Amino acid sequence: MNSSNILHVLNLLTPEIVLCGLAFGVLLLDIIFFRSDSVEHRHEQLGCSVIIGLVMVFFIYALQYMDWQNTFVVGHGAFVASRLNTLFKMAVVGLALITVVIGFKTPYSTHVGEYYGLMLFSVLGMVFLISSEDLLMIFIALELISLTLYVLTAFQKGARRSVEGGLKYFIFGGFSAAFLLFGLSYIYGATGHTSLREIAGALQGDQLAKVPMKMLGIGILFTLVGLGFKIAAAPFHLWAPDAYEGAPTPVAAMIATGSKIASFVALTKLLLIGLPAAAGSALSWPTRWHSGWAGTVAIIAVLSMTIGNFAAIMQTNVKRLLAYSSVAHAGYILVAIVAIQASGVPAPSAAPAIYFYIIIYALTNIGAFGVVNAIGSKAGGDDFEHFTGMARRSPYLSLLMLIFMLSLAGIPPLAGFFGKFYLFAAAVQADPKNLGLLWLVAYAIAMSAVSLYYYLKLTKQMYVLPAKDPRRVTSNPAMNTSLGLIGLMVLLMGVFPNKVVERFENLNANPYPIWEAAVPPPPQPEIPVPAPAEKPAVPAPAAPAPKS
Amino acid sequence: MIPLEHWIIVSSCLFAIGVAGVILRRNALVVYMSLEMILNASNLALVAASRYNGNLDGQVFAFFTIAVAAAEVAVGLAIIVALFRLKQTVQVSDVTTLKL
Amino acid sequence: MENSLFYFFSVAMLSCALLTITCKNPVSSVIFLVLAFFSMAGLFVLLNAFFLAAVQVLVYAGAIMVLFLFVIMLLNLPAEEKRHRGWFGGAASIFVMVALMLELSFVAHHEKLASSPASPGIDGTTEDVGMVLFSRYMLPFEVASLLLLAAMIGVIILSRKEKK
Repeated sequence: MNSSNILHVLNLLTPEIVLCGLAFGVLLLDIIFFRSDSVEHRHEQLGCSVIIGLVMVFFIYALQYMDWQNTFVVGHGAFVASRLNTLFKMAVVGLALITVVIGFKTPYSTHVGEYYGLMLFSVLGMVFLISSEDLLMIFIALELISLTLYVLTAFQKGARRSVEGGLKYFIFGGFSAAFLLFGLSYIYGATGHTSLREIAGALQGDQLAKVPMKMLGIGILFTLVGLGFKIAAAPFHLWAPDAYEGAPTPVAAMIATGSKIASFVALTKLLLIGLPAAAGSALSWPTRWHSGWAGTVAIIAVLSMTIGNFAAIMQTNVKRLLAYSSVAHAGYILVAIVAIQASGVPAPSAAPAIYFYIIIYALTNIGAFGVVNAIGSKAGGDDFEHFTGMARRSPYLSLLMLIFMLSLAGIPPLAGFFGKFYLFAAAVQADPKNLGLLWLVAYAIAMSAVSLYYYLKLTKQMYVLPAKDPRRVTSNPAMNTSLGLIGLMVLLMGVFPNKVVERFENLNANPYPIWEAAVPPPPQPEIPVPAPAEKPAVPAPAAPAPKS
Repeated sequence: MIPLEHWIIVSSCLFAIGVAGVILRRNALVVYMSLEMILNASNLALVAASRYNGNLDGQVFAFFTIAVAAAEVAVGLAIIVALFRLKQTVQVSDVTTLKL
Repeated sequence: MENSLFYFFSVAMLSCALLTITCKNPVSSVIFLVLAFFSMAGLFVLLNAFFLAAVQVLVYAGAIMVLFLFVIMLLNLPAEEKRHRGWFGGAASIFVMVALMLELSFVAHHEKLASSPASPGIDGTTEDVGMVLFSRYMLPFEVASLLLLAAMIGVIILSRKEKK
């Protein structure tokens, strides 16, 4: 066992360790110093410490992002430190920060320290999930996220909706975890490895003949079902509206944004790094059928877009509307995964598009949840009727909600439009000769048009209908500022989308991007079972720079 | 020697029984037990595959699964206790405040 | 010997599992569940996973069953009243069960899977498992400890009686 290796690993894990310390710190602070204070007081002090801590973690990630050029692999892929992963972790930590800010003055429980502590554990699960390329680590990190979110959903113990939402979330989540595990066990059984890169290696060339393909197929199918639950893709979305509606709004925001981002990254890695050899193809799919996961993912995407958009039309509760709209958005992102696969590896255009879209989706959604929280806590609920005439009662929050809704719908000057634009353009370009994915893109565009209806319905409720209750609705300055900043970012990303996409394209040129593994993994020396504690971090071999 | 096929078949039968239990039963406690069965079915597949593949990864995976299963059951039962304090039922079908 | 033990444990496990989901009384369900998991531990021993077999018995019989029984006693559940579920739910679940069993068994049967354990066979003794656990899987191990801590905190919060 080499001590310098351990030091190196600890160095890589610094932000995670700080985050962990922050979680413990919050729990201990609450118990030791603040036990006798009032709930509001504890909420303020602990909230401030969490905010400071998360800003610190964010900056450590930013430093790592600027510092690193290589990719480091710890423990056969249990933890992969790369710039791309760090970017996603920054996004997740930033979202957690916003979640804490929007829930700042609305205590949901007297257990303040535990509320923040569990939230931080959930963020830890997300960062570990983002950086894992190992079936076991993916499972554990997903469970860490899920278990904390089950508890947080049911956190308002006095409210029936909260506990019932928690129970539904738990039963569906437990079922999905069980499916996921069964799928993973079949993938392991078929290939004999748990590390995604080793799995990809076992599916290559003449090795492929030895792999029981039907068993692998069953494994992939069940894994897709399990992860489909986590990203709330139809037909596995039934838990989402209840969990969103029942959960305290900041927790719902976290389920809808941070945990979604992390699950999407895990799904993308699993499919594109571990199983590119089993992809098949979704090109020209309605006329030709190729077996493989690409076709299945395309079907799930179509179902999600259809069910999400049409069910959202019928909703009368804003949180349920956001839940169904996020089902639809999961469908759009799955279109992008199909596109990356179809465009071959490495994909120059599809991958930045998917990152851009995920980030914009998360940003817009967390802004929308923030406004719902600010208005809902003052107006007494988050049904449509509570939002009637809000433009006169709170012009500022209504304007922000307008921006977020139009961005989600994909109206031109806003970020959401460019997100969809890049996404669909990438999907069309995936197969430029015979436009094999055109059927999927056309369907997605048609569904976006449908989505315009319900986003505008909410806007009409706020802007056109007269208010029944003339009292003004105000929120605290911290929330106003942070929501305003998010709105500004959504606007700016719409005005200068190329700046962000270029950044992702630069990452794309960086060695070892997320989808690189379809290129044969480097031959690794076989390590005997009693190996040193962590595999010495191996700098990645330079991948061929993608053609622009 | 028992071929791997037999182990996988036993595991998939247990999986199927667990799935049926989740669909069939309305008592949340029995639903949890069925979930445990599915997790155990995966464990059996993992350990068998580990033995026939000649590495220990599957066994370690199963070990982690047992830990996760224990944590999951504890959280689930706590949610049931909280629910029971509110409305004196553990039937999933009585959870009706939220519609599907 | 090995074959007969395998069939004995498998049949015992599957029948106990079936009884678990069909019993009306949750307490007998728990007992059958634990019997099923004991048989599973037997199967683990047949697979040379000795450490895992011990953990299986300790965690399931020692912790999870006690937890289930404790909650059942705590809630003091009344005998489950006869519920009219209608034939549809039962038929659907039987259909799903049979379909899954046939499908998965069919797949397993038609694959060329290994017919005998890898040689040299691996032994899941505590030492071997510990070696892998604390080298290659060190980081997941640490994360699992966080998971257990988070679950513990959550359980205490949720099941605690609030002072009014």
